[in-house]
Amino acid sequence: MPPALLSIRDLGKHFGGFHALKGVSLEVEHGEFIALLGPSGCGKTTLLRCIAGFLTPDSGDIRIGGDSVTRLPPHRRPLNTVFQNYALFPHMSVLDNIAYGPRRHGVPRGEAAERAAQALQLVGLEALGARYPRELSGGQQQRVALARAVVNRPKLLLLDEPLSALDMKLRKRMQIELKHLQEKLGIAFVFVTHDQEEAMSMADRIVVMNRGLIEQVGSGTAVYATPATRFVAEFIGEANFLPGAADGDGGLRLAFGTAAVPHPGPGASTGIGTGAGQSRTGVLRPEHLELLDRADAPGFLTERGIVEDVINTGGQTLVMVRVGDALLASRRLGMPGAGLGRGTQVVVGFRPEHLHVVAGEPAP
Amino acid sequence: MTAALTGDPATVPAAAPPTALRRALPLLAAPVAFFVAFFAVPMVVVLSSSLMAGGAPSLANYARVLLDQYHWDVLAVTFRIAALTTLAVTLLGYPLAYYLVRVVSSNALRRSCVILLLLPLFTSNIVRSFGWMILLGRNGLVNDTLVGIGLLDRPVRFLGTETGIVIGLVYILLPFIVLAVGNALATVDPTLEEASADLGSSPFTTFWTVTFPLCLPGLIAGVIMVFTLAASAYVTPALLSGGKITVFPMLIFQQYSTVFDVHYGGALSITLLVVTLVLVALAGRIGNGGGNRS
Repeated sequence: MPPALLSIRDLGKHFGGFHALKGVSLEVEHGEFIALLGPSGCGKTTLLRCIAGFLTPDSGDIRIGGDSVTRLPPHRRPLNTVFQNYALFPHMSVLDNIAYGPRRHGVPRGEAAERAAQALQLVGLEALGARYPRELSGGQQQRVALARAVVNRPKLLLLDEPLSALDMKLRKRMQIELKHLQEKLGIAFVFVTHDQEEAMSMADRIVVMNRGLIEQVGSGTAVYATPATRFVAEFIGEANFLPGAADGDGGLRLAFGTAAVPHPGPGASTGIGTGAGQSRTGVLRPEHLELLDRADAPGFLTERGIVEDVINTGGQTLVMVRVGDALLASRRLGMPGAGLGRGTQVVVGFRPEHLHVVAGEPAP
Repeated sequence: MTAALTGDPATVPAAAPPTALRRALPLLAAPVAFFVAFFAVPMVVVLSSSLMAGGAPSLANYARVLLDQYHWDVLAVTFRIAALTTLAVTLLGYPLAYYLVRVVSSNALRRSCVILLLLPLFTSNIVRSFGWMILLGRNGLVNDTLVGIGLLDRPVRFLGTETGIVIGLVYILLPFIVLAVGNALATVDPTLEEASADLGSSPFTTFWTVTFPLCLPGLIAGVIMVFTLAASAYVTPALLSGGKITVFPMLIFQQYSTVFDVHYGGALSITLLVVTLVLVALAGRIGNGGGNRS
């Protein structure tokens, strides 16, 4: 089997007393779109900068195509980067900016200009080659930065929150464009973002990071439906957290309903034991918590509750229901019904197969 | 030059509406009055006195200056010293500025270095030039050291040579270029250098294709400042020349302080000013072309 395009082994990095990376391992295949997702300070940008060569890790190894690049300076690494602030050279025209990479790799001036023009066409800015970066809008600068990186035909492109400076609409459009471009060029993307929607809509695999560690690697569907840890469940999408404990008998006692839920269920994250009394958290997405007509609906685990809030989020309705001490969210399509208001007595319930169980207690 | 100094046109505010302008006028009065009283008026006085001879308007003073080969020789010495000083200051000051801004990572250390660099500016030029007279003398510290470590067989003469004057001027003018270049370097976004490395440039290529062009305006400003100060310096050349070398400002000083010929002295002053401005304008044009600014 040929070596992975990018292979990271046990990477560690300190900044003074701050442990930015605590042993991160990751493999990226050719043509893959990987999103590094996590809150600020989780180590995703540090990881990216280690791959690019702007930081030297304290421990671990980075290989590209099987060759270790850990000790190589950035200019000798076979990859390119799109920077968060684009980092376009202000003293060069757009075309010169894009031709900069090919020129450094010994491509003759004429051919470099030709390749730069092609790359500019690829991002739809062929008319702006003679302009200077400061004469362009944010979105245009973004595309130029992209063209400047892909003109070198790298096998691996690193992107450091490239869309974070754009407004919402432009951002959505660039997400689609980026994804199409990535598929067209067949370049592997490692894309840093703190926006989970961005990661979900673009990436083949999402790497969820927290406090210098990888919490989970998986497709958008996998990290959403079967989060490996409570952190992932909390970070990706919205979720209700139901405290519970293993009963040691293949079941889970939840602070919801009276029946035990089979445990670990089919959707439970692997590696959690079944010992009696161990605390567990049931993760339930709001769309799986339903408002029911009756408390004994077949196949459902139910509780009575009182509506605290009805929120119309445009095409979807979020109903906040107080059940005992917990405030649970239920989401459904459509506008809020007429009979539903604050203080309404309701029955809420879910099908046990929609419950996903992770270790530990819910956050307070 | 002006484009390079004023920088990004986007930062220049758009024309203010008339009411705002009217409100701003009183605020402008003080600086304008200061400028008129201390810059414009003296200039006009010098210029008009240089155009008077024997109580009548005349170009006789300029004829005296320009038709005398001696003045051209002194001008040549003056600008040779200024050019050498500027070159030496740039070669010393640029790496020093780069070191302070890019290599020194501790803020405290950088601040101490800058203070150390500026401290001599608080002392009078005269005192510092006297210091160099002692250091550069036949039995001064410089000669003693060079002979002591075997670089020289016997002491060389510094005082009364152009080299001595250049050494004195370099010492006095170094902070100016370091501050000008340092400020320019500090505004160059380090991610641009990272981007350059990412696109395949070695640190050397990155410096010449990205860092250097981007702080060129600061360098040019520093070079012009140093060059004009060196060309118009009086105290340092006067003290270090040992009476053997004459620079143009010394001629001007003689006319004003000893001969009391303000007309001839004025013509000398204006000549030095015009030649300096022409050279600076030429340098600015060259720098502007190299800076690739649109």
